[in-house]
Amino acid sequence: MREEVSQENDEKIAFLVQSGKVEVFSILIKRYEDKIKRYSRKFLSDKEDINDVVQNVFIKAYENIQSFDTKRKFSSWLYRIAHNELVNALKKKKKNPLLLFDLDIFFPQQFHADNSIEREIDRQDAKEIIDKCLDKLALKYREPIILYYFEELNYKEIADIMRIPISTVGIRIKRAKELMKFILKK
Amino acid sequence: MADTNNQQQNSISDIVLNKIKSGGVKMRPKIYFVLKTILIIFGTAVLTLLILFLVSFIVFAMRASGTLFLPSFGVFGLRILFISLPWFLIFATVISVILMEILAKHFAIVYRRPIVYSILFIIILVLLGGIIIERTRFHPSLFWRSQEKRLPIMGGFYRDPSITRLQNVHRGIISEITSNGFLIKKPDNQMLTIIVTPDTQFLPGREIKEGEAVVVMGRREDDTVYAFGIRRIEDQFNMFMLEHRPPRPMR
Repeated sequence: MREEVSQENDEKIAFLVQSGKVEVFSILIKRYEDKIKRYSRKFLSDKEDINDVVQNVFIKAYENIQSFDTKRKFSSWLYRIAHNELVNALKKKKKNPLLLFDLDIFFPQQFHADNSIEREIDRQDAKEIIDKCLDKLALKYREPIILYYFEELNYKEIADIMRIPISTVGIRIKRAKELMKFILKK
Repeated sequence: MADTNNQQQNSISDIVLNKIKSGGVKMRPKIYFVLKTILIIFGTAVLTLLILFLVSFIVFAMRASGTLFLPSFGVFGLRILFISLPWFLIFATVISVILMEILAKHFAIVYRRPIVYSILFIIILVLLGGIIIERTRFHPSLFWRSQEKRLPIMGGFYRDPSITRLQNVHRGIISEITSNGFLIKKPDNQMLTIIVTPDTQFLPGREIKEGEAVVVMGRREDDTVYAFGIRRIEDQFNMFMLEHRPPRPMR
């Protein structure tokens, strides 16, 4: 049964869990454990904290799986849970978490892909560069750029995870790239 | 190293699965989320109605007290308007709008766009809705029911004297023209003597006649008011005068 199901997509497996086939939930854990761990590692340094966050993400995912709409992407839904868990973990650590009220989510903003920056920070090299600059980036810029380059999510998915306007995602990624360019030049 | 990672991987997966199997972690039923969504929609709807009520009531109260006509008396009128605004109701409206925005943020259509859009949408919706409701007989009829003590819960709200009475602002219908002014009958049938001086400001013009509804701004001494400004108002703003009271239902 598990071998057959393991070929299915995330949404189909989530549907099976919703229908009572609890054992196949382990397939989703296997598929996403490393990704969630990698994502958490960008915000937390303590190994135990990271493991706690990962564990809590999957526990919350199981508890709330009936709220998942199988017509939508499972990964975005899971990253939303991970985002909330990380915000809570950072709050506990008293590291300034993502602000609830930030001016850039209030007003509409125009953003255009800056080709010159795009060329400089090629997508292939991006991960390496981001890793170098990550500690110097504010959390509000760090999260969208990680989700975009490392988790390869699009702006709409990032907006759904962070519950911020799509234009804000674009602006924050653009600013993060500009900041990284500045940091690299120094 | 790979083995350690594997063990770690297995352990997190095993911990979660063991917790599920032992019943330590339980899946919330679908009905829980359905009810949650219904509650959010219901809360948003209730808040919308509350905000519509508050906005229309604020406009009604401002008309009833004459506050709405104060800006036409210039800076002095604006100053009294600012002091006399129903700040508590305005504050309650702002809080309700914030709560509504928080509830609406649960929906992708709202959070995917800048907050200013949804706030503007809410403000335009409630202002238009509030003004439309205020134009109906909804508030005047509740006002009269409260005066006749036929409005159980909301009655006290409408009977609050600060809603329809304002210091230095008096409104009523001209019942008699005198040599130095005129007499007005207030909504509660009380009579006031209005003294007009050469400095009294008339809007839209000096011609006034008996039966016209006016708002008089001026200092009151007993039953005499020394008018600083007088403004004629349209009959439609007069719906809370005693003679405009709707007929009581037949028993």
